[in-house]
Amino acid sequence: MRKILTLALSAALLPAFVLAAGPRDAPKAAGIESKDYQWAKMEGELKEALEKKGDVKRGKETYEICGACHLPTGAGRPDGTFPQLAGQHTTVLIKQMADIRMGLRDNPTMYPFAKEMTDPQDLADTAAYIQSLCIPIDHGKYEGPDAAKQIAAGKELYEKQCVECHKANGEGVKEKFYPVLAGQHYKYLLRQMTEIRDGHRRNANPDMVKVIKPYTNDQLVAISAYQASLAMPGSMCKAGPAKAAAKKK
Amino acid sequence: MNMKLILAALAASSIAAPVFADGKALYLEKTCIACHGKDAKKPLTPEYPKLAGQNAKYAERQMLDIKSGARANGNSAAMKGVMHLVSDEEIKELAKYLSEIK
Repeated sequence: MRKILTLALSAALLPAFVLAAGPRDAPKAAGIESKDYQWAKMEGELKEALEKKGDVKRGKETYEICGACHLPTGAGRPDGTFPQLAGQHTTVLIKQMADIRMGLRDNPTMYPFAKEMTDPQDLADTAAYIQSLCIPIDHGKYEGPDAAKQIAAGKELYEKQCVECHKANGEGVKEKFYPVLAGQHYKYLLRQMTEIRDGHRRNANPDMVKVIKPYTNDQLVAISAYQASLAMPGSMCKAGPAKAAAKKK
Repeated sequence: MNMKLILAALAASSIAAPVFADGKALYLEKTCIACHGKDAKKPLTPEYPKLAGQNAKYAERQMLDIKSGARANGNSAAMKGVMHLVSDEEIKELAKYLSEIK
């Protein structure tokens, strides 16, 4: 009741005002747990944003709010709290933002920020800017005395079932919303795979859930270790003193 | 501000050993600023509190409780996700910093 009143009031008083929303206002859409879930359904904001031409310059401005957590370089945090974003496909970025905004991917920390994007054009611009950034090479990797062994074991597993969609260098497939994995933090990869396997990431691709279901925790560790060792030729930042946001090519 | 953030991030990201940064640096580096805003005075949404001048003891207690899950009401779900980034000592430093903002 009070909410309706607030909504009505702000709608009446300030038509162009963006309503700041907290995580408790996040909607909840039917995800993988529901019978008629359709992955990457081409409608609404996702469809609209994909049809817009993203403007890198404008995106640099709309990205500013994201940079507080994901950093101006897009690098996120090696501990996996916030993923590396630089160089990610615009399709993937738009889908994840749209999913979080519509309550298909639960992310109470990010929701209020994602909500700040005003329209599909904002999503397209932000995604275009992020995609234009080079992929930092100092991301979080598997660290441990058995790293070489883990990476080798992970490579074997990756090449059996992951490579078909995520490709040899972890470049994914842009038009199919398959994300770039190269340059991603080991801990983030492990966390997402675990959540997808266990049904907690509600916007997951059911085909992937089927594939990943039988994997053990140890196997996911090995696969993440290998994925975090991948590099995409031509998309990675140049080695050298920490350079902020160098453009690729 | 962005530059400061980068520097702070670089300084703190290299080694896992306990880092004793001052509260202000922690406020920038541990992503508090993203939601609670510059100088803890301009929260991202009106649903988030202004923290400048908050009692240190109270701020510390809330942070500890959100971290442990003892406090799980309101918008604490949004904050729980980042609380592993701070140790109990760092929470104390943060609380002290918040209380001292004029």
